[in-house]
Amino acid sequence: MSYWPLVPVLGLAVLVPVLLMGIQRLLSHRNPSIEKLAPYECGVTGIGRARPRLPVKFYVTAVLFLLFDIETVFLFPWAVLFRKLGLFGLLEMGFFLGVLFLGLAYVWRKGALEWQ
Amino acid sequence: MAMNSRPLDAGEPFMLTSVETALDWARKNSMWPLPFGTACCAIEFMGAVGSRFDISRFGAELVRFSPRQADLLIVAGTVVYKMAPILRQIYAQMADPKWVISMGVCASSGGFYDDYCTLQGIDQIIPVDVYVPGCPPTPDLLLDGLLKLQQKIDTERHLELA
Amino acid sequence: MTSFDLERARRLVGADLVAETPSLGDVVFVVGRSGVRRALRALRDDPELRFDMLMDLTGVDRLTLRDRFERFEVVYQLYSLWNGWRLRLRVPVPESDPRLDSVHDLWKAANWAERECWDMFGIRFDGHPNLKRILCHHEFVGHPLRKDYDRTRGQWCSRAETLEDELALAHEREQARARAAGLDPADAEIGERLLVNIGPSHPVAHGTLRVLVELEGETIKHAIPEIGYLHRGFEKCAEKGTWNNVVPYASRMNYVSALSNDVAYVKAVEKLCGIEVPDRCKFIRVIVNELARIMDHCVCNGANIVDLGALTNFWYLFTAREKLYTIVEKLTGIRLTTAYTRVGGLAHDLYDGFEDEVRAALREIVPYVQDVLKLIKRNRIFLERTVGVAPLSAADAIDYGWTGPVLRASGVPLDARKRDGYYFYDQFDFDVPVGENGDAHDRIMVRFEEIFESIRIIEQALDKLPGGPVNTSNNKFVLPPKRELHRDIEPLMNHFMLVMFGTPVPAGETYDSFEVPNGELGFYLVSDGGGRPYRVRVRPPCFYAYQAYPQLIEGSMVADMAAALGGLNVVAGELDR
Repeated sequence: MSYWPLVPVLGLAVLVPVLLMGIQRLLSHRNPSIEKLAPYECGVTGIGRARPRLPVKFYVTAVLFLLFDIETVFLFPWAVLFRKLGLFGLLEMGFFLGVLFLGLAYVWRKGALEWQ
Repeated sequence: MAMNSRPLDAGEPFMLTSVETALDWARKNSMWPLPFGTACCAIEFMGAVGSRFDISRFGAELVRFSPRQADLLIVAGTVVYKMAPILRQIYAQMADPKWVISMGVCASSGGFYDDYCTLQGIDQIIPVDVYVPGCPPTPDLLLDGLLKLQQKIDTERHLELA
Repeated sequence: MTSFDLERARRLVGADLVAETPSLGDVVFVVGRSGVRRALRALRDDPELRFDMLMDLTGVDRLTLRDRFERFEVVYQLYSLWNGWRLRLRVPVPESDPRLDSVHDLWKAANWAERECWDMFGIRFDGHPNLKRILCHHEFVGHPLRKDYDRTRGQWCSRAETLEDELALAHEREQARARAAGLDPADAEIGERLLVNIGPSHPVAHGTLRVLVELEGETIKHAIPEIGYLHRGFEKCAEKGTWNNVVPYASRMNYVSALSNDVAYVKAVEKLCGIEVPDRCKFIRVIVNELARIMDHCVCNGANIVDLGALTNFWYLFTAREKLYTIVEKLTGIRLTTAYTRVGGLAHDLYDGFEDEVRAALREIVPYVQDVLKLIKRNRIFLERTVGVAPLSAADAIDYGWTGPVLRASGVPLDARKRDGYYFYDQFDFDVPVGENGDAHDRIMVRFEEIFESIRIIEQALDKLPGGPVNTSNNKFVLPPKRELHRDIEPLMNHFMLVMFGTPVPAGETYDSFEVPNGELGFYLVSDGGGRPYRVRVRPPCFYAYQAYPQLIEGSMVADMAAALGGLNVVAGELDR
């Protein structure tokens, strides 16, 4: 299998950001000031701590999202090679989705999808 | 739209005029307004954004309420002394290049509220590029102000090389 | 509307009743300040009189008035919701010792009203939990509505207030509640909460409202509103010109329905003058008020729903509003902030073709509103975000002084148009939509229903519109037609007096109210007999509505803030004046 087509892709991936950031460096204004660097809170100087301890509910929601998002990502290669993999692919992916579906059912029953 | 018909200033490098013009063209046709709407003029601004007057014809469709993402501050409505520090901070937090349209007579000069609490014109605290009179100005007058601002941008020099 | 048992009221006030100064059909008691709290409580709790609503609380500086008891007066406007009776209490407050007992625990509505009275006049209210400025900024020195404060003396403000003091008070209250319930206050971990300032420049804040919220995760533990970011000094500016010069200022209060404010103001002045406007004028005022109602509800609901994320409805409702803008522009000369009415009538009569254009526009508006309703009525997301969100019971709503669609959404069928029947409203056939749960969903739906009811009223009014003059026949109040000025001396004299010295409003005082789209817009006017107003107090419906906002959102999630705020239709021009 030839991997040479990846080289121009990598080259573009490096070249485009360098070009954009370079043009921005040349052409942009640079005018920092204290107020500009202050955090935005609708025009008022904010009070309170910047890093309070966040409730763990945020973490649970984020992790669940991540899990199911990765599951969705795995579906894409299967969609591309659907015909080639045939029945074998269906059974394997069916097993994979089944395991994750059991996980979803568990999470749903436990109430982790509710906010409170 | 005449792209290359501006005479050079003294000392302006010749090689960069097209770049300058291209930048001006890009900037003026894609202004992202921050509607600092306080009073009645804000409703007429909403009318300008609506489908009858349609500000997005001129590229200024994406209203952004965060100063980090906007480059045109439209002060629409009366600014009172209590609000003045907020306006100053919002203006300061916008990234350059930035422009200000003072919409309505209250923002331009205090309007008919010459009293103890109203700022008699926002130009006392921030620099203004275009003043749009009216109480409130009709949306087409605001669009005229936007066009004048676009003409003004054509005459500005932005590049700071060398 | 039957009048109430005066003897009973007198007995309840008792020995503190200093005098009675009835005026123009209003019942007015002058009450000594030591007994005012007891008298108010008695009037509120009396089972027969039931003055359960504090409509307004304000101050008057009677420095240059000849008839007065003391320099200051605090005026309470009481309203009996179930009977429709009104009672005014004037409490003289001496300049040497401007103190009075607070009634914030009798009516929640009094909390902010007393703060405003302190801000504007310097009258202290003993027992108030947090007597600080509410409209002027925190660095302001002096009390602007006092007669000796120079109107044009502005004072700069260097930075916005951090609101830490109010937050500390809220924490104290929370910890006291925890201790009373037997819990350890340290468990709440107040120091770990996130403070977010949803400030005056924010899309959901509808202009110039500021709320400091303390969050625990997504739940709002405390919300501290701050207003005054559009305090433009309406009441002080009203004192500088003549009575008619106030009309443009009045338009710009609730600027989304400017025509309603115009009508409300001149109706109050005409009550003070004792003049009647012709029937045609009344019908036209009804028509423009209802047009303004449609426009206001379109904006309010459009903005409310767009805050929830549904942008299409905003465009539909604004296009409906644009159709009415064309008519208003043709009628008054300006789209938004009209100044169409004058004391004694209107600026000018309707233009030819007005009726046909209004009917055509209303026919065009109906499908827009119906499309919006089709989009949201059974929309799962809309229902989840508004049903059960920010409810307020009827009892609380009355305590806060709510009026208008928000009160009707909480289940109280109070509509001044039906109750008082002024301007021929009793002859029109229309319903008053009333909600059940008082949540955000009801507030939106009540406003949509009111749009359709307003359309009914306008059509009936156009059918019944009589001919005739639009201005009162009393020539002292209305500018005569130009051609008469060049013929006779009397119209010339009237014109001269009116322009140079202002409307000849007799000395006295009155309170009159009008059902504007937001609720009851009341005007308490004090005149010294000259052509210039002595005191124009506005009773703004959204001031009292917004005061309940912390109670609506504390305990809910951040996302519910938008649904709750949009339903209150807080227009900063009216809130801050």
